[in-house]
Amino acid sequence: MILDLHAHSIKSDDGRAKVQNYCQWIRAKEIAIDGFVLTEHRQFDNESDYSPLAAKHGLTILKGAEVETQYGHVLVFGVNDALQAAFDFTNINLRLEQVIEACHANGAVAVPCHPGRKRVGMAAHLEEFGIPKGVTIVEVYNGGSRGEEDQVAQHMADEQGYLGIGGSDAHIVSHIGRCATEFSGDIRSELELVEALQGRDFKALKIKQED
Amino acid sequence: MSINHLSEVEFGVELPTFQPDTSLANVKKFAIAAGWNSPRFTDHEAARKEGLPGALIPGIMSQGFLSAMIHNWAPGAEIRLVDTIFRAPCVVDERYHINGVVTDIDEESGEVEIDLTVTNDAQETRVFGTAKVMIAN
Repeated sequence: MILDLHAHSIKSDDGRAKVQNYCQWIRAKEIAIDGFVLTEHRQFDNESDYSPLAAKHGLTILKGAEVETQYGHVLVFGVNDALQAAFDFTNINLRLEQVIEACHANGAVAVPCHPGRKRVGMAAHLEEFGIPKGVTIVEVYNGGSRGEEDQVAQHMADEQGYLGIGGSDAHIVSHIGRCATEFSGDIRSELELVEALQGRDFKALKIKQED
Repeated sequence: MSINHLSEVEFGVELPTFQPDTSLANVKKFAIAAGWNSPRFTDHEAARKEGLPGALIPGIMSQGFLSAMIHNWAPGAEIRLVDTIFRAPCVVDERYHINGVVTDIDEESGEVEIDLTVTNDAQETRVFGTAKVMIAN
């Protein structure tokens, strides 16, 4: 199963895509993904139920979050009530160690995203803060990467022995599925996604978009 | 192909790519007309002294290019909104490609939503956004 693990909808302040249009686009353009995870900036979307939309289009639609730490932005998968009580998702100065520990304690997984990017990526902060404890997975393919950002991310992952995921970081409809992650089994829930990530049996993909 | 009626618009259709004139002479003309005659838009050397990669294309000029692309495609369209997110600067005298694709059609109201991207030759997205346009039935 192939999931785009990093997408934003109009729930994010800079997101411009309606979830229904992501679904429509994936099917109309035959994008080679089976679903996506909505990782809204600095929040978890407790309200939306995308299961009817997912069923209508035969896609898996899951929810996560993208939070902000001193090492840059971090995707969080497996968000639950306990995790939301453990730290303030709106805080733009979270400690990465705190996020990772809270995820471990509450059955979630933290994944630094676009780590090769200046300012908001983890690699840019290693010299100042050192190698953070507890990171096991990073996003090595990001659909919004420019220049050498993905290479920097992959190099860091290779050096530190991190596994890599891929995500489009889509903010507009037509960017969904540019990068994704392939898992060996089916994933239908946030819990199954966490188990699959913890199972370490996945690989990051770049997906060519056909005209 | 020019679009004149909503019935001609299909979900997922790509607008013809538009390559804007980003020459220093053209940007200077725009900057003067807009009252934004700052060296950061009209003088590469002065812009570099400010720590910029070169003279920048003003954001409102980029939005103008996006509007021009839409009107090249649908001359009679009424542009209600051009909503842009600037991810990286667009530098004067560099080549950019403006693309648009239809991502939503409201058959009742006639409103069409278009994804917009400005990319460079390396296919890096510098600006993205959406436009909402009204096209007559």
